[in-house]
Amino acid sequence: MALPSRILRPFHLPSHLRTIPTCARLYHSYDHPPAPPYAPAEQAILSAAITHIPEHGFTQTSLSRGAQDAGYLPVSTNLFPSGVFDLVLFYLVQRRLGLGDAIATEGLDRVWEERKVGVGGRVRGLVLDRLRMNARFGVVGRWQEALAIMAQPSYIPASTTELWRLSDEIWFLAGDTSVDTSWYTKRASLSAIYAAAEVFQTQDSSAEFRDTERFLDERLGDLRKVGGTVGAVGEWVGYTASSAVNVLRSKGVRI
Amino acid sequence: MNNSIPRIVRRANRIRRLRPEQIQQSYRCFSCSIRHAQQQTPRPDESPRTTHFGFETVAESLKQSKVAEVFSSVASSYDTMNDLMSLGIHRLWKDHFVSSINPGLNPLIHTPSPSSSSTSAPTDPLRILDIAGGTGDIAFRILDYTTTIHNDSTSHVTVADINPSMLSEGQKRASKSPYANTGRIDFIEANAEQLSTIPSNSIDIYTVAFGIRNFTSIPTALREAHRVLKPGGLFACLEFSKVQNPVFDAVYKRWSFGAIPLIGQVVAGDRDSYQYLVESIERFPKQEEFSRMIGEAGFLIPGGGGKEGEKGGWEDLSGGIAAIHKGIKPAGSGIAAVGGGSV
Repeated sequence: MALPSRILRPFHLPSHLRTIPTCARLYHSYDHPPAPPYAPAEQAILSAAITHIPEHGFTQTSLSRGAQDAGYLPVSTNLFPSGVFDLVLFYLVQRRLGLGDAIATEGLDRVWEERKVGVGGRVRGLVLDRLRMNARFGVVGRWQEALAIMAQPSYIPASTTELWRLSDEIWFLAGDTSVDTSWYTKRASLSAIYAAAEVFQTQDSSAEFRDTERFLDERLGDLRKVGGTVGAVGEWVGYTASSAVNVLRSKGVRI
Repeated sequence: MNNSIPRIVRRANRIRRLRPEQIQQSYRCFSCSIRHAQQQTPRPDESPRTTHFGFETVAESLKQSKVAEVFSSVASSYDTMNDLMSLGIHRLWKDHFVSSINPGLNPLIHTPSPSSSSTSAPTDPLRILDIAGGTGDIAFRILDYTTTIHNDSTSHVTVADINPSMLSEGQKRASKSPYANTGRIDFIEANAEQLSTIPSNSIDIYTVAFGIRNFTSIPTALREAHRVLKPGGLFACLEFSKVQNPVFDAVYKRWSFGAIPLIGQVVAGDRDSYQYLVESIERFPKQEEFSRMIGEAGFLIPGGGGKEGEKGGWEDLSGGIAAIHKGIKPAGSGIAAVGGGSV
């Protein structure tokens, strides 16, 4: 009978393990703002480093310049164990978090309500917003460097996780409330489309990235077509199967 | 079947010899209390503070001289012994240590550009302090790295060691190196816990490779490192650590307790010094604990800033036989904020 009390006893961790992970939240909370993902010193250095990207690219030079701007030394970049990849990741995280802020500041919510924009249209708008950020921060010309860094085998898990988070953020902000398997397929397909559009953007020389916008529209159109086709095929298979069962039952087969 | 009993007894004896303090406190009964009372050495009244010297517990005032004894006796054969004990891998660790610090200021990048006024005085040569670096292993690697990778021929390394015989080994090597007359390297005899000759906020990089476990008080040394570093300066430490994989750990323990004292006896003619070496490795705090100590001394721990799932602050080498720990002195924390853990 000692068992229940042992189970009910609070679980004591050693003190060094009891620190609460700051950014490990896997869901969107309406009540609690998320903890800032970076410590103040890291935030200061990396934010300053981002302003040097147009000139120096995603390089150690940008990082050390950023450190100096923030009142640190070039050697302080040892604060970042993965070096330049930490700068890339910081850029991605900041822009992802910037999406929500953009909605709040520009009042996109109201615009969407007035014009009765559906979830699909909102997703399109948010993806375009995100792609325009690349242009606004002047990293489009340098983005291939970042892609090359992200493609290094040891960084691939972190990069793909961040891509997944971005598409999750976009679907969430667009007001998607699906709770079935489409939750996964929506995020997976948007990840693929976003990654493709971003690569397209690096080689786009049209004014205000019109070609990228067209490319994105076509891919979203493809997605709708494929989604519709898959849905229709599924419906047909389900209908045919149930009629076949009914026909067999009418012949006296016990199913 | 008959053989197994004495073997168990032998093993139990060996374990008791290795970890006397843990066995004593593991359970309470009359026989233990007698043994405990017998083995407890009377502490000298004038210095009640004790520290560990390998598996022995000694008064803090004694440790320094005992460590000095060890290193005086091994100084001449230090490099040969390192190669034999680590099978040459210590060279890779040290190379990796230096390249992960990435020291050096490229004069093409770090000249103050007219556009950015905020980049203030980056042309000051890099000042590096290599603690417990008597033979200059790390110092020469740092100078090579800054010169060849960053084309930086101004960085300056100060090698500090408490032990004159280790320092004279380093000076001998420095006189044969290309840095002999460049004034880029100098040697001082100093205790890492009292670097009185080095002004506060004057050092860019503080390195200590395979030295910190010999210090009498690690927290004091960490606070002293915090004092001498400039705001934003880097504390980097390469030290033996805890092997993470239990199977590999068993193999490694066999090697370190079995082979290393034997090699010491055969090659350097000094078994006790190398017995101390492996014991001090065993007693050194684990990665998590040491990382916490660095944080308590007031340093920012790299990678601990919140990226989830990432163990912060250190890099294991060879499965954890050695580990690189780093800390950054926060900017704007001048002299006042020494020791965040002294609350």
